[in-house]
Amino acid sequence: MEFTRGGLPVPTGQLERWVTFSRFGDAELVSLSGEIDLANAPEIGKAIVERIQKAGKVLIDLTTVSFLDSAGVRLLDALIGDLNEHGKPTRLVVGESGAARMTLQLCAFREDVLATDLDRAAAEIGG
Amino acid sequence: MTQELRPPWDEDPDDLYDHAPCGYLTTLPDGTIVRVNQTFLNWTGYTRGELVGHRRFRDLLTSGGQIYHETHYAPLLRMQDEVHELAFDVVCSDGRQLPTLVNSTLGRDDAGSPKAIRTMVFNATERRQYEKELLLARQIAEASERRVRVLQQIVADLAAAPTEAEVAEAVVRAPESAFGAASSSIYLVDVERDCIVAVASTDPTTGNWDDMPRSSPRAVARVAERGDLHVVGSVAEARTHFPELVETMRRSGRNTVVLLPLTTGPADESATVETLGVLAFSFKGERRLTDGELRVVRLLGQQAGQALDRARLYDDANRREERATFLAETTRSLDEVHRLLARTRRLIERAVPEIADWAEVRLHVGATPVVEAGGGPRPDEELLSQRLGKVAASGEPAFPGEGDQLDCSVLPLTARGLVLGTLALRMAPDRRGAAAERAFLVELADRAGLALENARLYEQERQIARTLQRSLLAGALPGGDTRFAVETHYQAAAHDLEVGGDWFDAFLITKDKLAVVVGDVVGRGIEAATTMGQLRSAVRALAGNENGPARLIEGLDRFVERVESARMATVAYVEIDLPAGEVAYSCAGHLPPLLQEPTGSPEYLLQARSAPLGSRAGNTVRTEHRRRLPPGSRLLLYTDGLIERRTRPIDKGFELLAREYARRRDAPLQGLAAGLADTLVGRDHSDDVCMLCLTLGTEERIERTIGADRMQIALLRADLRAWLVAHGVEAECRDAVLLACSEAVANAIEHGYRDDPFGMIDVVATVTDDAVEVRVTDRGTWRGPVTDVARGRGLQLIRESMDQVLFDRGDGTTVTMRRGRQEAS
Repeated sequence: MEFTRGGLPVPTGQLERWVTFSRFGDAELVSLSGEIDLANAPEIGKAIVERIQKAGKVLIDLTTVSFLDSAGVRLLDALIGDLNEHGKPTRLVVGESGAARMTLQLCAFREDVLATDLDRAAAEIGG
Repeated sequence: MTQELRPPWDEDPDDLYDHAPCGYLTTLPDGTIVRVNQTFLNWTGYTRGELVGHRRFRDLLTSGGQIYHETHYAPLLRMQDEVHELAFDVVCSDGRQLPTLVNSTLGRDDAGSPKAIRTMVFNATERRQYEKELLLARQIAEASERRVRVLQQIVADLAAAPTEAEVAEAVVRAPESAFGAASSSIYLVDVERDCIVAVASTDPTTGNWDDMPRSSPRAVARVAERGDLHVVGSVAEARTHFPELVETMRRSGRNTVVLLPLTTGPADESATVETLGVLAFSFKGERRLTDGELRVVRLLGQQAGQALDRARLYDDANRREERATFLAETTRSLDEVHRLLARTRRLIERAVPEIADWAEVRLHVGATPVVEAGGGPRPDEELLSQRLGKVAASGEPAFPGEGDQLDCSVLPLTARGLVLGTLALRMAPDRRGAAAERAFLVELADRAGLALENARLYEQERQIARTLQRSLLAGALPGGDTRFAVETHYQAAAHDLEVGGDWFDAFLITKDKLAVVVGDVVGRGIEAATTMGQLRSAVRALAGNENGPARLIEGLDRFVERVESARMATVAYVEIDLPAGEVAYSCAGHLPPLLQEPTGSPEYLLQARSAPLGSRAGNTVRTEHRRRLPPGSRLLLYTDGLIERRTRPIDKGFELLAREYARRRDAPLQGLAAGLADTLVGRDHSDDVCMLCLTLGTEERIERTIGADRMQIALLRADLRAWLVAHGVEAECRDAVLLACSEAVANAIEHGYRDDPFGMIDVVATVTDDAVEVRVTDRGTWRGPVTDVARGRGLQLIRESMDQVLFDRGDGTTVTMRRGRQEAS
């Protein structure tokens, strides 16, 4: 037995800490949380791709993401590119401010894939 | 007066010559017979006419005699004028040979020339017979002597043969040297299995080597039962008595077979005599054994039988000792490991291959049964599970019977009358069946049952203690306060010993006063874990705004008077006045806390020391020491498992800890304790390690060094975030700095240290009222402008999120970034 505590969790491959999946209406909802960076972005990406392969519409919720770096941006960029190519409607839900919106804005993400809340995002891709 | 005695009849000289009791011959010097007396003619059957003038003396001899006549008789006679007692066989007229002794004289004339030979011939028939008998008698005596010598040698060999196999080896060679047998084989009676087994042969190509029941009609079994010597003199005899021998004898070209029982005494004392085996030996021709030889053969049987008897007793004693040693060693070996699975494994390892070629232990404990097996091949699964079920239900051992399809023994593993599980094994072939082995297995299972039950109890207690300890240590620690940060690490002993009594705790006494404590209760197991929980609660209850560390330890001394198991526990207790940055500490028998101030070397806090709690012999005057610590100071509390090693003196441990702690002064707080434990004790540690690391206040300037490892970026970010928060940096600026800093470090890892996983990255940040400045330095290799799209985006993020960015590529890369606090870019 061994355990270490204090401060924030150390990435140890426990993906559920950063990504969980559920349904929102008829869309697949991917909820990201905590710090997304170079250390965990590749594994998170793999888990998402596996899950959304059969999905028709995808919502990615970043409202509880406390940190997003360029590796995270690269992941989201690739996901959206893929989904667009297959004609699957997608939205990133990022809130009005916060670390995720800052990083995405700095990277000049298209405003039309960003939404500020889940209901609005679902309505946008619903019709 | 001399007077000639008159014989009772007239002695006519001619008659005397003709009828003398010996033959007379007169020959010319060339041997031609000129005169012969009647006696010679009577003996040989010739007529005078056939000899006189017609034959030479030598013509009457056998061809061998003629050569002898040529080489010895004639030369000797010529030289000495006479010869005596020369043996010749005279060939009679009917071809018979007449053994004779011959004396001759050579008469010479006046000139000395040979004139005539006079020869006297004695009939030596009787004498020659006697000589022959004499020779035969000597040969017999010699053969007998040789047999006796062979026998003596065998007796000596037997005396030196301690085991059945060696006895068999010594005996099986005897018939060849003693009697000239063509081959021999030895069979031993196996009383346990009620059969007779061939164990050795000088010619394994002959005979039938299958085991036979003692009741078999085969010759060997019959002779073994009768206990008396049997000689099969010919194939015809074999056909009458033992038809099964005929084919074997014919195939191997044997005409006489001797079957000798190996008995513990002479056959006539049959009441007490036991037949232990049979020695069979055979001859190529039909061989008649003399009475003398048969006596020796019987003697050999008894000698060998007695040696076998001795060897059996010796073997038995050996076997008994081996079994006892095996049991003792198994018990000791099982005691060496504590865990249930390890013990089960150990039991299998002991059994296979030493006593069994396959073994399996099944334990019906817990939710899933423990199954551990070794060796092979596995027996039939269905038969086995039936047998296991029967034994588990009855608690009685089951041994394989004659012709049993399942050739395994199954024994219940019991402890205190309960069947814990089963031990199934297939004995090694040479140990099967014996009653003594059954008793041995039962004892083995008894001992194993007890050892496994103890392990199970140990396991149960250990589980409870671990759960208890974990629940006590896993309580929430205070956090979210920028004035301090706490990191703890607990590592249980590697060797599955019982849970220890080490503990740590941190709690806020008031909103401005923090208490941290690390302690160690004497002993292990449930009691230690329970006591630890009680002491932990006692510390929390006694800590108050008015009491300092000294009074708190005094309170614990009183507590120990009521909770005896806590006596001699050691405690390091520290109170921190957060606004003032002042610590007060007291150590009751515990190792001194280690302090690292932002500048300078680490320092052990050696004041305010006293004896363990409730100590009767030690100094229990409790004192405390106060000291102001500059912001950024780190304090480490730990238990002895961290520095005590059997292989090094404790001051070396202190030295090593101080050095490693200093080396990590700039490492992020997260992972610091685990990293120290890893370096100081590694994974193979024999004691629990319990650590608590406290960082105080906020440094004006934060300096961190991390390895080129993606995982460490988050650790750095945690420290940096806490530092920015502590300095009241606005959220927007804070996020921007964290992003830029992360990207700069990621760049160093992925670009500069692309080929160097051991590179180090320095991060220094300062804050003023106007701006935050961050410098990230690596000593990696600059490989020209970044062309990787992904990294390019990272660099873009740095430029976008900071006001000023400067890349300096000299020896490695230094990125200096600045961001104003009021206005975002």
